[in-house]
Amino acid sequence: MLSLLRSPKPTFKHMLIGDWLTIIFSVMLTAYLFQTLWSHEHASKVQIRIGDKVYAAYDLNQQRDIKVHGAIGDAVIHISQGKVRFSKSPCHNQYCVHQGWLTRSGQAAICLPNQISLELIGEQKPYDSLNY
Amino acid sequence: MRKWPISLIAIAIFAMAIAGISALKQEPLYHTQSYVFGTLVDISIYGEPEERAKQLANQVLQDFQNLHNQLHAWKPASSNQPSELGTLNTAFANGNKPINISPQLATMLIDATDLSVKSQGLFNPAIGHLVSSWGFQRDEFTAVNIDDTKIQALVKANPRMTDIVVKDNTAYSTNPNVKLDLGGYAKGYALDKAAEYLRNQQVKNALVNIGGNIIALGQHGNQPWRVGIQHPRKPAAIAALDLADGWAVGTSGDYQRYFTLNGKRYCHIIDPNSGYPVQHTQSVTVLIPPQKNAGVLSDVASKPIFITVAEDKARTAAMLGIQYFMVIDQKSNIVVSNALAHKLEWLDPEVKKNSHVKLVTLP
Repeated sequence: MLSLLRSPKPTFKHMLIGDWLTIIFSVMLTAYLFQTLWSHEHASKVQIRIGDKVYAAYDLNQQRDIKVHGAIGDAVIHISQGKVRFSKSPCHNQYCVHQGWLTRSGQAAICLPNQISLELIGEQKPYDSLNY
Repeated sequence: MRKWPISLIAIAIFAMAIAGISALKQEPLYHTQSYVFGTLVDISIYGEPEERAKQLANQVLQDFQNLHNQLHAWKPASSNQPSELGTLNTAFANGNKPINISPQLATMLIDATDLSVKSQGLFNPAIGHLVSSWGFQRDEFTAVNIDDTKIQALVKANPRMTDIVVKDNTAYSTNPNVKLDLGGYAKGYALDKAAEYLRNQQVKNALVNIGGNIIALGQHGNQPWRVGIQHPRKPAAIAALDLADGWAVGTSGDYQRYFTLNGKRYCHIIDPNSGYPVQHTQSVTVLIPPQKNAGVLSDVASKPIFITVAEDKARTAAMLGIQYFMVIDQKSNIVVSNALAHKLEWLDPEVKKNSHVKLVTLP
């Protein structure tokens, strides 16, 4: 067996059981990681919309403040290791800021006066539209 | 080592297969969002070429904007011209001489009056003076000084939809205290119009959402459209449900327009009998089976259920012919009609875990 594994001139035809096992194992590992890490519960990105345009999408695995210019002024969106929130907004009632952290895919925060929306995007959308 | 290239090839093939599958998963879905009616409008169209879907969605948005300008309760259509509704309100206040209105507005007034009567006046678009004295007829409202005497006077003036006389595309009011605010009707009406337009354009599959009132056409590929229902106190959906062809769903909540004063929340839904904002309920969701005015019902029917006290909510729903409803009260207790409970999938972890959900059967 060992000598076969070290066969000097292997070709596709001569792939051994170990090769196949390795491939099958990597496929299964990839599928498993795909399932767990890309599960829809965990969002990976935040999509920011301003008015009717998609402004940008940012990875959630970082720490940063994003300043965006909406219909009535500048808002600050704070990303912190897997979650995101409005941290500053020029709107009067501050509903968007009070919404707090978004953490799971499909969650959304909307600032109507400033026409900015945040939506967390994962592998799957849990629903097509939100009855807010 | 010649072995590595083979494994690499295998991995490359595998990677290409994944890329291929995800390319196949690219679906013919067009999605757009915009701001009309002072709220978020969200349109999805499935199965149409992107260019066409875009044109159709833009037309729907344009129609919404026109309707919004026509029906705006406090903003003029242009700098020196009030909205059609504004003109009518001025005429109502100035006496009972009939003025011309568009056939469309006449139809809406007759329909809204029917629904108002059916709800025993709990759905009452004639209380515009109350709505504005609570400060909700502003884009950005602030806490108001509550003037009890004024509120009582406005309630006593008893403005009702039945005070309005509509005839041959003219209208007048027998009560000068009537001031129309179609805030609880126009979005639903717009939904029905959008559904009708898209159907006439041979669109098979679409989902239109105007600030929480949603109507479905067809489905999303080989699955029904799926809709999340907003949790009234969290930035997340509390539950989700499938919305089949022609069905509509609507939620009224105390969280979309409100102000807080001395720790109390005053929301935009006002009880016409007391003149005060309702404080016992956080949200009411109604699901409407396919019918001609499903959109209007998804907008209108939630309000009377929201306004009545807990003991009367099921009876009020039955009175309006609503079988599918959910109420979340001020303590976040959930009451769901049996019919709707069968269709809901709970998403909120707390509700899933320790379900303080009460099921009710309609009387």
